[in-house]
Amino acid sequence: MRSALSETLVELASRDERILLLTGDHGYSLFDDFRRMCPSQYINAGVAEQNMVGVASGLARAGFRPIVYGLSAFIPIRVLEQIKLDIAHDDLPVIFIGDGAGFVYSHLGTSHQSTEDIACARSIPNLNVFSPADAQETRRCFSIAYQLSKPVYIRVGKADLGTVHSKPITAELGDLITLKPGKSGNLALLATGSMVSTAQQLCESEFPRASLYTAPFIKPINDEQLIGICRTSSAVITLEEHSIFGGFGSVVAEIASAYAPTRIFRIGVADRFSEYCGSYGYLLKEHGLDFESVKKRISSFIDSSI
Amino acid sequence: MAYAGSAVHIGCAFSIIEILATLHKRYLRYPENNPNAEARDYLVLSKGHGVMAQYACMVDRGWLSESDLEHYFSDGSILKGLSDSRVDGLEATSGSLGHGLSVGVGLSLAAKLKRTGQKTFVIVGDGEINEGPIWEGLLFAHHHRLKDLMVIVDENGFQAMGTTREVMNMESIGSKFDSFGFDTREVNGHDESDINQSIRNLFSLSSENPKALIAKTVKGKGVPFMEHDNSWHYTRLNSQTYRNALDALKTTTP
Repeated sequence: MRSALSETLVELASRDERILLLTGDHGYSLFDDFRRMCPSQYINAGVAEQNMVGVASGLARAGFRPIVYGLSAFIPIRVLEQIKLDIAHDDLPVIFIGDGAGFVYSHLGTSHQSTEDIACARSIPNLNVFSPADAQETRRCFSIAYQLSKPVYIRVGKADLGTVHSKPITAELGDLITLKPGKSGNLALLATGSMVSTAQQLCESEFPRASLYTAPFIKPINDEQLIGICRTSSAVITLEEHSIFGGFGSVVAEIASAYAPTRIFRIGVADRFSEYCGSYGYLLKEHGLDFESVKKRISSFIDSSI
Repeated sequence: MAYAGSAVHIGCAFSIIEILATLHKRYLRYPENNPNAEARDYLVLSKGHGVMAQYACMVDRGWLSESDLEHYFSDGSILKGLSDSRVDGLEATSGSLGHGLSVGVGLSLAAKLKRTGQKTFVIVGDGEINEGPIWEGLLFAHHHRLKDLMVIVDENGFQAMGTTREVMNMESIGSKFDSFGFDTREVNGHDESDINQSIRNLFSLSSENPKALIAKTVKGKGVPFMEHDNSWHYTRLNSQTYRNALDALKTTTP
């Protein structure tokens, strides 16, 4: 997924000289190819994220296509007001990449962890929010973000969880992608980002009759498709490495409650910060997002609904 | 405008009127007088609280009408109480302070990358420069040698709740800009010929440094009962103070 990110950035910048990549002194080896192939389009703006977003605003106003990179704890969280006033208010074509979303920086603690970014970003008018799960979704998200020519926040979480799609995908903006059609009247699992691979494993081993969807687009989202899924499923489980407040699960619940009331169980991060240091797997377990915990939570939800 | 709209932030507008007049008359190039011309120079009012002064200049340029001004601050008017980038002639949305400089730095960097020679002027307040992103922007501007960028500090000595000395003493603003690598001049911000001469001198320097003009100004300049009285940051005009202000302006304005 990271090499797809690097390749995509190089591809876009080689094709369009208006593209400028700005980083707040982050990225390390991710930009090796970019710096070699497109050196004049790379700007390290220093450890000064607020200024970086303002600069991106000025560049976009003058016809450039800035791509602003940072860790999602900083882009968009630290610079939310700059994104709102300097970019989104004027619908400027700036792509924000928030890397390391969720608990990727499991050893570093709360400052580098990000579980509120979707909620904050999606409440800003004009700002689109994407959340790819693998290399193919990453390519598709960037391709659509570039064509869209509007403000987009692309959330990049744990990137080495394997392949979701074996071939390039053609989903349109807002579409959920069916990974496994289920029989009507059964459970539907809707996952985004890093939790898609967990949802896949759950479908394979625990809930064979459930349908499974991945959501690379959080905002906008295809309402009709979502309503259809809610209408034909016995219950909906949403999975995300993000707060249960305001994230992907909330999007599904907001739409379903109006048009297709269904029981919706949101699996995500509860209203708490990480207590401990540890590996990524350890942190997921602390937050009840590892395979075993999620399996138990879904099972007890199903039992309680009977 | 301030009376018709029962608006606040009157003092902040009076302190920058001569600066704006000089920029509009002598420096800012708008091809075909088009505020959106691609090749225009950029004026970013980072201290959006002084927006009434810019609206007045925009009427002079024919971008706004007198009737637009009469509806300022009123129901349904697009002319908001603070600078808003959706109005032609205003480059950035401001009011939350410390935004406009970075936008101006981005515009100036764009001009440098495109080699167009467009100039960018950013007006910041001496209260506004309490904000951290201002200093991030100055570092970036110098690092990228944005020689066509000029930051103009409206040093009126006041911010919302008191004097800058009481609230957050900046000491010498000029020496701070100097140490950030700017070519810096101090001027009387109400003397158009002083402002003009200093801008000309700064741009005639052969250095690659960005420029800074520290304009010593008086909040509420031109209306004696407003001058140096910070209550005019928030006070609205009534019919009596409005008449008094007009009378005062007729005698103080050449």
